[in-house]
Amino acid sequence: MTVFHFFNCAILTFGPHAVYYSATPLSEYDTFGTSVKAAIVYLGTALVKLVCLATFLKVPENDSFDPYQELLKALIGFIDVAGLYFALTQLTHRNISQNHKFQAVGLGWAFADSVLHRLAPLWVGARGLEFTWEYILQGLEANANLVLTVSLAALGSLMWLRKNKPRTLVPIIYACAGILATMPSITSYLRRGLGWHFPKVVGFELFASLAMAFISWQLFSACQKPSA
Amino acid sequence: MAGSKGREGEMLESIYSVLALVFILVACVELGDAATVVDVYRLIQYDLAGVPFGSRLASLNHHAGSLPFAPGADLSRTVVIIPFREVNITFLRDYIMQRQPLGGLLLLLPQNISSESREEAEEGDRNNGKELIRSELAELEKLLVHVNIPYPVYFAFEDDKITAVLADVKTNDATGQPATATTGGYKLVVSTPEPKKLASPTITNIQGWLPGLKADGDVNQLPTIAIVASYDTFGAAPALSVGSDSNGSGVVALLEIARLFSLLYSNPKTRGRYNLLFGLTSGGPYNYNGTFKWLQSFDQRLRESIDYAICLNSIGSWDDELWIHVSKPPENAYIKQVFESFSSVAEELGVKIGLKHKKINVSNPRVAWEHEQFSKSRVTAVTLSELSVAPELLESTGGLSDSRHFVNGIAVSRSVKLVAESLARHIYGHQGKNIQIFADGSSLAVNPFYIQSWLDLMSQTPRVAPFLPKNDPFILALKKELADHTAEVNVQHEALDGIFTFYDLTKASLNIYQVASVTFDLLLLLVLGSYLIILFSFLVITTRGLDDLISLFRRPPSRKVKMA
Repeated sequence: MTVFHFFNCAILTFGPHAVYYSATPLSEYDTFGTSVKAAIVYLGTALVKLVCLATFLKVPENDSFDPYQELLKALIGFIDVAGLYFALTQLTHRNISQNHKFQAVGLGWAFADSVLHRLAPLWVGARGLEFTWEYILQGLEANANLVLTVSLAALGSLMWLRKNKPRTLVPIIYACAGILATMPSITSYLRRGLGWHFPKVVGFELFASLAMAFISWQLFSACQKPSA
Repeated sequence: MAGSKGREGEMLESIYSVLALVFILVACVELGDAATVVDVYRLIQYDLAGVPFGSRLASLNHHAGSLPFAPGADLSRTVVIIPFREVNITFLRDYIMQRQPLGGLLLLLPQNISSESREEAEEGDRNNGKELIRSELAELEKLLVHVNIPYPVYFAFEDDKITAVLADVKTNDATGQPATATTGGYKLVVSTPEPKKLASPTITNIQGWLPGLKADGDVNQLPTIAIVASYDTFGAAPALSVGSDSNGSGVVALLEIARLFSLLYSNPKTRGRYNLLFGLTSGGPYNYNGTFKWLQSFDQRLRESIDYAICLNSIGSWDDELWIHVSKPPENAYIKQVFESFSSVAEELGVKIGLKHKKINVSNPRVAWEHEQFSKSRVTAVTLSELSVAPELLESTGGLSDSRHFVNGIAVSRSVKLVAESLARHIYGHQGKNIQIFADGSSLAVNPFYIQSWLDLMSQTPRVAPFLPKNDPFILALKKELADHTAEVNVQHEALDGIFTFYDLTKASLNIYQVASVTFDLLLLLVLGSYLIILFSFLVITTRGLDDLISLFRRPPSRKVKMA
């Protein structure tokens, strides 16, 4: 019964990634290699991030919100952006369109993130007899994270790969990318600074991810038009 | 070429084995994240002449339920939690006697029985309540000890955590059907191995010898007076059988008497012409098996030198009357002498002493009083006790109901004074004279603090002999204490013989998990499945169009045609 629960939570956490890959044209163009490369880049980035966090951050004595530390954490969070940049621009991809490239990179990135951050707690926790909502919420969070990462990758590809974009949209793109990149800090602020509970935070993340996805999609299609 | 291939194969194999190892390690990760962990104490499990008694199982993994349960409900997979206040003895007895199936039983004992708050009951009302609890506990214990229960039975103390769980379970039970695997609720888990037989349990007797003063040129051996108390206990929950009254009070009294006489005997002027022999015996609940072994180890001369023996048994909660139990007729000269010396001191102390005579039935293996073992080996002996009737086997042996709460330090002090004073008059030949040797306020006064602290220690130490190892700290402490007051201390280890077989596992920890039901997980699976299907359809429609989605569901040949 508890293995059943683990199975459910695993479906919720990792299912959407698989569905995304198989449902979209990504599977038709065989972009699996790109996703794997992105995942490897993610691993490297996570390592660098860990080293930075361990070097520059104090261990918090209590669970309170320390603005200076959080700012530092947000800055270190931008290493993610650098990693994405590397994955999008520096890696040699097979000949796939930009359109698919950013999706594949975002997908690989989000999947690696889920595996790295959620698989172990899930395995240890959800198999236990004790029932909590935590692992279901964590699965929902993984969904939100997938959407956010793909959005960020989309904006990243707009910023770095597309040369002729409408001038008026450039600041908006950068602003949105900034918001997406600081999303972990925002949720951390909500949880610790405002004392929100986990369900509320996850709800916010889901909502924010949908909103950001919509905005990114609009921006992407707006940039697509002139070239088309 | 072939070599490199072989090496590759080897490497692959080693990688696989490492992976397998990692997986095994991961799978073994201990899942100890229970909502609540509670210390529980198992009902004793023993065989009496091969007949099984007590709780026969130890491991538990069932859903929680509460009283009252619906008639006809299947409880074979339910652990019923019953707070002691709600225990209905007759109902429980019927339920157990009818051998109804049950997953397990968890009895919650009131916290204040265990607590060490030592306020002497001021109000009669509360005293009555305490007495009621005591008698009910005794009744429950008697019921549980003498039946064979085919499921695990545990005791726990009520606390906030478990009370909250119980309240939840109760509301759950009240609203719907009791919790089973399909409705969720709480799961109680005790993971222990199968209880094993204890191989040859040992009992330990401790004796202290305080030699008297021999006059110059006296060739005869000095007479000896023995003071004896059995210190071990037996009860429904071995880990909770502290036996403050039976026979913690007797042991404490013995230690205090030893202390008082060691003061007297340390000075040659006040050293009496009697040897004093102090015996702390084990195996009391099992027909005083330890006393029997102890007496057997005496040599003939010592046994003949014993004038008389005083056994102390349950002297901690009497009000104004004590009993002297004897097995020789009261007309016997020695008995008369002992009784008279006791009753004259009792008169001065303002307490009553009664004499009870109970003949020994040689054909009956039951030994109800410790002095009967002495009488069997022809040593004059009496038992001083607050109990007026001889207890049955495994009764009044210091079980659940016998806690510090019901023992009065003042009663123990008075008993000590009574025994010590009458002994001293016998030793120094002051019979009939009103001389108080151990007068209050003198340097030889009975020390109430000494008694209190030893009573407290007794009331924290479960002392069921089969579960007490040879070198248990408690036994060592008793030995050391006796060594402080006497000249020579001997410890005797013997095997407990007789018809008893005991099983281990007296203590465990109970994990209480809040669990979701299978139905919930099924529902969740359905919801997740439909979510993924909708997501898939949505993605296909937005990225490839509706036609592609429909074409996915067509038979493969049509796709082949399309490709061609």
